[in-house]
Amino acid sequence: MGTSAAGNRLCVISEEGGEIRRLGKRFRKLDLDGSGSLSVDDFMSLPELQQNPLVRRIIDIFDTDGNGEIDFIEFIRGVSQFSIRGNQQQKLNFAFRVYDVDKDGFISNGELFQVLKAMVGSNLQDAALQQAVDKTILSADRDGDGRISFHEFCTVVDLVVSHQHGHTQLGPLVQKVLVLNKTHQT
Amino acid sequence: MENLWYVAGTIFQLWMFVVVFFIMLPAMFGLSLGVTEVYIQVLVKILEWATLRIQRGQQEQPSAPIPLHTGIIERVGGSMEEEMWQLRCSRPEAAGAFCLSDGVYFCKKGLESIVEDQVTQRFSSEELASWNLLTRTNQNFYYISLRLTIIWGLGVFVRYCVLLPFRIALASTGISWLVIGTCVVGFLPESSAKNWLSELVHLTCYRICARGLSATIHYHNKENRPQKGGICVANHTTPIDVVILANDGCYAMVGQTHGGLLGILQKSMVRSCPHVWFERSEMKDRNTVTRRLRHHVAAKTKLPILIFPEGTCVNNTSVMMFKKGSFEIGGTIYPVAIKYDRRFGDAFWNSSKYNMVSYLLRMMTSWAIVVNVWYLPPMTIQDGEDAAQFANRVKSVIAHQGGLLDLAWDGGLKRCKVKDSLKEEQQKMYSNIIVGQNHIRTTKTCSETREDQ
Repeated sequence: MGTSAAGNRLCVISEEGGEIRRLGKRFRKLDLDGSGSLSVDDFMSLPELQQNPLVRRIIDIFDTDGNGEIDFIEFIRGVSQFSIRGNQQQKLNFAFRVYDVDKDGFISNGELFQVLKAMVGSNLQDAALQQAVDKTILSADRDGDGRISFHEFCTVVDLVVSHQHGHTQLGPLVQKVLVLNKTHQT
Repeated sequence: MENLWYVAGTIFQLWMFVVVFFIMLPAMFGLSLGVTEVYIQVLVKILEWATLRIQRGQQEQPSAPIPLHTGIIERVGGSMEEEMWQLRCSRPEAAGAFCLSDGVYFCKKGLESIVEDQVTQRFSSEELASWNLLTRTNQNFYYISLRLTIIWGLGVFVRYCVLLPFRIALASTGISWLVIGTCVVGFLPESSAKNWLSELVHLTCYRICARGLSATIHYHNKENRPQKGGICVANHTTPIDVVILANDGCYAMVGQTHGGLLGILQKSMVRSCPHVWFERSEMKDRNTVTRRLRHHVAAKTKLPILIFPEGTCVNNTSVMMFKKGSFEIGGTIYPVAIKYDRRFGDAFWNSSKYNMVSYLLRMMTSWAIVVNVWYLPPMTIQDGEDAAQFANRVKSVIAHQGGLLDLAWDGGLKRCKVKDSLKEEQQKMYSNIIVGQNHIRTTKTCSETREDQ
């Protein structure tokens, strides 16, 4: 677990939290070199992730401070994105960040193309992909700046929360942890 | 000094007496004195009491965390198409085109794998629902009561000071008699008497070894037992699988020649009955291996071959991919499902964590080994089926019988990476989804990629 003060507070709480202990165990198991944070190689030791076309995007979304590695706080925060108690806004935010590669708050034409290319590999021609990308941006872009903002994204994408399966059963304790971490950082 | 020799001599005589009359003779005839059964029943009662005690203790101390032994993810089992359909909220105009919510599907799958994946958990021991009073499985359990601790302490004493020496002595007796017995039988000329004697020696010594592990084996459907000239395939959890299966029949083993003690064992075993041992260099040449095995099977009078198609030890919660090499030999396949009862001892050999000696010591200091063996009806390859499909068919039958999860993942992933072709498969599947009625042109013609939704 982290050595920051937020990490110490996390340790106190984890004595009571079954879910956090479980995730902590998972984190330690994934951390093959024992460095205290997960690198890309640590993730790529999971066979199911190796076959996932968007694994780099996922790791990138987890890595909020951009140092290329994922510490425990980032891990918990990332995993709770699909929590059973997450709201519509959280899920839309996550979906947006899948495409926003440079994290500037807008999905540009190039970014959308990049992610779509990762998903289809070499099975479709670049021209066809570009067509699909242009079409998507055209239909979503309201203010005409050639890229999709978060607001425009939300009007186009409509993720239904109640039908979301496959969520982790993280309880209110995780939300408390994340709030604590936020207040500590402010 | 003489007294010491005298005492040692008496002990040795006593030991031999016990072994011959109480263990070897019953083993030769396949009988049992019932001691192990009584022991198991007593153990079950104690463990049930312990479980109740722990549950009561957990209710009284709500601060102690309750271990989550089931998965912490609730997955829905749908195909890529179904899940993307749900993500898109079933909007018909979006069918067959790229939709912004598609990326979420891959991320969700990725997150599920990060929190709990189906593959790596098979390569470590399964967690128990409740503590079985062994120190090594005490992961999440706190001090509950004095009585429980006393019972646990007694358990440690019994297991390490009483059972362990007994088991070690028994196992070494069994193995040494196997070596001597097969050597002696090897000197006889080829005849049916030799075969019968060889079978007797093998069975007796394996049964002695099984007693040395306090193994209680329940065989089901004995009428489907593998016949001569067939191939027996089973799921693999531990090297002890061989002992378990050989307690009820004679098999021709297949494997690499080793050096040292194991090598001596192999050399003497092959004198009395035709096992198939390979040099390390030969193992790499698949054709040589297949040819030798085919020879063996074709002579219908030879013992059935025992093969573990997974190729590696898996933790007995699932069956991983069967390598198709064993299914290309021809002949009848006799599937066998083996399931260990985890309450009495964890039989899984985690070869990256323990070497053979420490693994055997752990086995001998567990409570016991209780195992169910199901013999399944013989199967043969059908017309129009290739070896890989046949292998999958056999695998699902075994998984179904043993109550194990049927996984398509390769057990070899314990040590090596996933092939790139799997990732390309995912990409291909997705491309097929977003290609629909004339929305996007592809590199192939539209008629080839049309799919119904």
